[in-house]
Amino acid sequence: MRFEKYFQPTSIEECVSLLKEYGTDAKMLAGGTDLVPRLKNKVIRPKAVIGLFSIPNIDKIALTEAGIMIGSMVQLRHLQKAEELGDRYVVIKEAAGHVSSMQVRNIATIGGNACNASPSADAVQGLMVMDAVCKIDGVNGKRDVAIANFFIGPGKTVLENGEILTGFFIPAPKPRTGTAYEKFAIRGDTDISIVGAGCSLTLCEDGTVTDARISLASVAPKPIRATEAENFLIGKKITETIAREAGKLAASNCKPISDQRASKEYRVEMVKVWVKNAILEAKVRI
Amino acid sequence: MSLEKMQFELIVNGKNYIFYSTPDRTLLEVLREELNMLGTKKGCDDANCGVCTVIMDGMAVKSCTILIPQANGRNITTIEGLEGPNGLHPLQQSFIDNFAVQCGFCTPGMILTAKAILDENPNATEEEIREGLHGNICRCTGYESIVRAIEAVRDGEYKDLEV
Amino acid sequence: MNSYIGKGAKRIDAFDKVTGKGLYASDYPNQFPRLAHIKALQSPYAHAKILKLNTSKAENLEGVLGIITGNEPGVDWDQYPKVAVLAVERTIWAGQIVALVCAETEEIAEEALELIEVEYEQLPHVLNYKEAIDPNPVSVVDPDYEKRPVGFTDRPGDRATNRVSPNIVGAFKMNAGDVDKALAEADVIVEGEFWTGRKTASPLETPNAICRYDNDGGITLWSNGAGVHGVIKQSICRILKMKQSQVRIIQPYMGGSFGSRLTPYVELLTVLMCLKVKRTVRFQYTRQQTFTMGPSNWPCYTKVKIGAKKDGTIVGNDYYLCEEIGACLNNSFFSGRLSSSGALPVYGWGGNLRMDTYAVATNAVPAAEYRGLGCPEAEFGIEILMNELAEKLNMSPVELRMKNILNDGENNCQGDLITSIGVKKCLQAVADEIKIDEPSVQDMGVWKKGKGLAIGGKQNTPLGRSEAVVKYNSDGTIELLISCDENGMGATTAMTQIVANEFQCSMEDIKTTKGDTAITPYDNYSASSRTTYNTGNAVIAACKECIDKLKEEVARRYGIHTSKVEIVGKKAILKGSYVQEVDIPSLFVPVSMFTQGNWGLQVGSPVVGHGIYCPAPIIQWDEKGLSPRVWNWWQYSAAAVEIAVNEETGQIKVLKVVSSADTGNPINPELIKGQIEGGVCMSLGFHINEEQIYNRDGMMANANFSDYRLPTILDMPVKDNMKACINPDPLPDGPYGAKGMAESITIPTGPAIAEAIYRAVGVRVDGYPMNAERILKLIKEKKEKEA
Repeated sequence: MRFEKYFQPTSIEECVSLLKEYGTDAKMLAGGTDLVPRLKNKVIRPKAVIGLFSIPNIDKIALTEAGIMIGSMVQLRHLQKAEELGDRYVVIKEAAGHVSSMQVRNIATIGGNACNASPSADAVQGLMVMDAVCKIDGVNGKRDVAIANFFIGPGKTVLENGEILTGFFIPAPKPRTGTAYEKFAIRGDTDISIVGAGCSLTLCEDGTVTDARISLASVAPKPIRATEAENFLIGKKITETIAREAGKLAASNCKPISDQRASKEYRVEMVKVWVKNAILEAKVRI
Repeated sequence: MSLEKMQFELIVNGKNYIFYSTPDRTLLEVLREELNMLGTKKGCDDANCGVCTVIMDGMAVKSCTILIPQANGRNITTIEGLEGPNGLHPLQQSFIDNFAVQCGFCTPGMILTAKAILDENPNATEEEIREGLHGNICRCTGYESIVRAIEAVRDGEYKDLEV
Repeated sequence: MNSYIGKGAKRIDAFDKVTGKGLYASDYPNQFPRLAHIKALQSPYAHAKILKLNTSKAENLEGVLGIITGNEPGVDWDQYPKVAVLAVERTIWAGQIVALVCAETEEIAEEALELIEVEYEQLPHVLNYKEAIDPNPVSVVDPDYEKRPVGFTDRPGDRATNRVSPNIVGAFKMNAGDVDKALAEADVIVEGEFWTGRKTASPLETPNAICRYDNDGGITLWSNGAGVHGVIKQSICRILKMKQSQVRIIQPYMGGSFGSRLTPYVELLTVLMCLKVKRTVRFQYTRQQTFTMGPSNWPCYTKVKIGAKKDGTIVGNDYYLCEEIGACLNNSFFSGRLSSSGALPVYGWGGNLRMDTYAVATNAVPAAEYRGLGCPEAEFGIEILMNELAEKLNMSPVELRMKNILNDGENNCQGDLITSIGVKKCLQAVADEIKIDEPSVQDMGVWKKGKGLAIGGKQNTPLGRSEAVVKYNSDGTIELLISCDENGMGATTAMTQIVANEFQCSMEDIKTTKGDTAITPYDNYSASSRTTYNTGNAVIAACKECIDKLKEEVARRYGIHTSKVEIVGKKAILKGSYVQEVDIPSLFVPVSMFTQGNWGLQVGSPVVGHGIYCPAPIIQWDEKGLSPRVWNWWQYSAAAVEIAVNEETGQIKVLKVVSSADTGNPINPELIKGQIEGGVCMSLGFHINEEQIYNRDGMMANANFSDYRLPTILDMPVKDNMKACINPDPLPDGPYGAKGMAESITIPTGPAIAEAIYRAVGVRVDGYPMNAERILKLIKEKKEKEA
């Protein structure tokens, strides 16, 4: 018996009340690609599993003037191929498209990728560089949390007992903004990343950087922003040298660990390389 | 304290199956143990090797990490469902003709993933085929014959076998 | 006259596999309604004392049928394959089985595991060559080595006497010519020390077995193990002291092996439990257990010193090798001799070769066979040094090798006669295809390209007996019964082709049954690429006996000599008789109470031929390690690659591979092409990315398919850049001149890549896997030196 009770609520309210009742003894089932292997290995033994597929309206993509709303139950592959996102939101598609394999992306969800809160999560990196806002509903009513503040540590988010992530709002990017996400993994997307680097650059007409976001995966207990590198870019024009410098700054400010995938020294080296590459790619896409 | 059984329905290869199961089993376990469809294999049980791939509502998915409530009421195609009344599916025949089968353990998952790729993208390039198969491991063939077999179907060499 | 030899006949098992209808051992549980399940409790430490082991709570759980620990009465663990040895007072590798539980359901068995109380006291461990070979190592894996009785497969020459470390548990020395003198007179010396990582074969079907308890106290076993007769049945009868008549082993379709199934571990444990609980039981390893409870390969540490004259004539090789065999207690199999045989098949070494080889035990999972049997590890350093030597002498790597490769009819340094060696053709073919003389064009930015080539050879061990039975039915169709393994390489198809060729009939008229000890005759197993050669020759012998019997019947019927009869499928062609052609089925008479015809050819009763083949035996080597015959024949391969190395990340992209095999005379070129492509892929995997990585407790930290980096489809070159070629040199005693080839493929790709890395970014590797981190480190060290 992998869990004791199964629920499939048909509304947010019903879901929230179950979450409140079971607290940390409940796990939510979205795509299941992170949850199910852990259930099988008995790494987690929840009392209750709550399937989210019958809750309406949390699996849509909606475009507005101000930006886009992505429901938390939107599958990564759907996101990857969503033509309505166009070039302006390309990093959202790109980051989602770097998760594992086609079969996994067919059922894994953007909300699941966020709530699983792995420091190596790829899909959330697109959200990070576009300043996404996490939409939360639950016992505290509705609330918004900036994506950069959503993660606390490995497997831990700001969601409290009785709260559910319903989606993300991504504000429309300013004009002359280019974005990119570079996932560095040995065999390709099916590997967990050794380092992931996302970048968003906004330039003014003469090519000077007015705004920058650099986010990193797999180099800290959670997805982080390389703020020192971001600040370094402001007011500069992007060249290979500047990008390289920013990469070095980003690397000097992170403390990755050594594990079975890579040593910390190698990760630090790769931050230098891939932040540089993400910056240069983002510039090309403006 | 035990987990209660619930009623589930799967439409597998066009046929309706209604059964009772605890909701904590995976689609792979139900297909093999409940419905006796042994063509879908278990390799790593970890969503990495791809031998458990089936097609669910037109999408290739790894059945070892899908809990049965996720599949409830949905259309599943397993390897058993590929043969038509006129014989083998083009991909099956092409895998035979192009020696894309050795030990055969990855073959059902590989063929179904290939079908999903070509159904969505009938003119998939070699690069797109390889990208789509990135989540399917084969230890025997080195993948080249598998690519040749899929391209032969893409290029229309098995038109007369198509349904 | 049709020839089925050299034809790409379609596999006879492909239909079953593409439809999912073919059953593997792991598909059999559905047939047993009251099946009991076995689960294993494993040690988490590489080396630990077991202070307390209490299974009473688990035993009392309802639904638990039996528990086995290392203290099970009546079990002599010394007889068991090393990886199936349960921990007694110590656990000696992380993952070793501490207890086996059998219960009515998998769930109850898993619950029982959690009720077993174990207390460990961790001890220091040694995980690799350097740690283990220390004269005062922190862990002695087998302290009783000297006291143990000699194991049943022991060979006097392989017992270790000069034990520089107490972890040395096997040794072999060979001294041909005078290496010291030769090297002293050399114009140029190249030398190096080389290491290799630990890898796991990882066939996609995990080890599993079902053992049915038969009412007479006997058993029937379905498993994906190798060698139904030679490996599984014989070990069960010997170790568990069962009557041969009571043991039946069946091998359904098998999800790959690559050598890993050649020791009967899951089978023995399943039968042991079955006999204890007297129920039909099943045991399937999880993927993690396949890494930690199933065998790995054996890494090798080598030191090679080669001397040559200015003109490229090699004068001698001083060769040291040590196999890391994992936690093998009472080792009687490893001595370094098997791996170091890789130094023998290709070059003559001017007649001067000294081999000083060892086996060292470590607290890692015990090793067993893996495609190549230590030859990729043994020849890696040799081929790297050959390329280095070519550069030093300003010779082409092709020319240097051509000058020193042995020829047909010559003897290698150990004394074996080489009767089939096509490696020169292989080498030329790959060199031409890759255009080795034209350096790569640097057009990939931060990815620097380079080319490299290498060659390799591997022995076939004379591994005993194969038998075959051929039955010619009264309707002219044929049944073939064989017990060779079908791991996936297509052996059963090739054997069927042989029958089709001998009888000149269509393959549709032949049914091949394999792998059931009650039905199919004896065969040892598929090891050392022996099946085509050994079983193939047995099949030919069986066909000949059956054909001779048919000829006799026809000749007698028509009053002519048997030499004037030819069997062609369902017809007999007669020379010089008043009847020219006879329909053979018409000669079989139906059952009748009124005639004596029941004694001759009768409808429903086939004419049977039985064939046996054994290779000639080994001649024990002398005190110098020399012998005129140790190995049976040799397979060869050459590989040329073009790769790109990313200067910023150290990653390797394999752009183009040309791989060539000397397969004797190929029976089915399509199957061989499949082996070449598959072998290249497997080789790329373990040379570039795969290795076992350990945590602080010595437990494998990447025992899964996420982090143990098997090659995916994106790791192979695109299909137009993967060229497989066959350059055969017929083997005189092979069936139609054929010989096996699937292991040699894995040898030269690694050193070819090493050379290509050198050409691309100017660094020389000294071991593999040549992963991105290691390559980047070498690149950075080089940049720092130059600065």
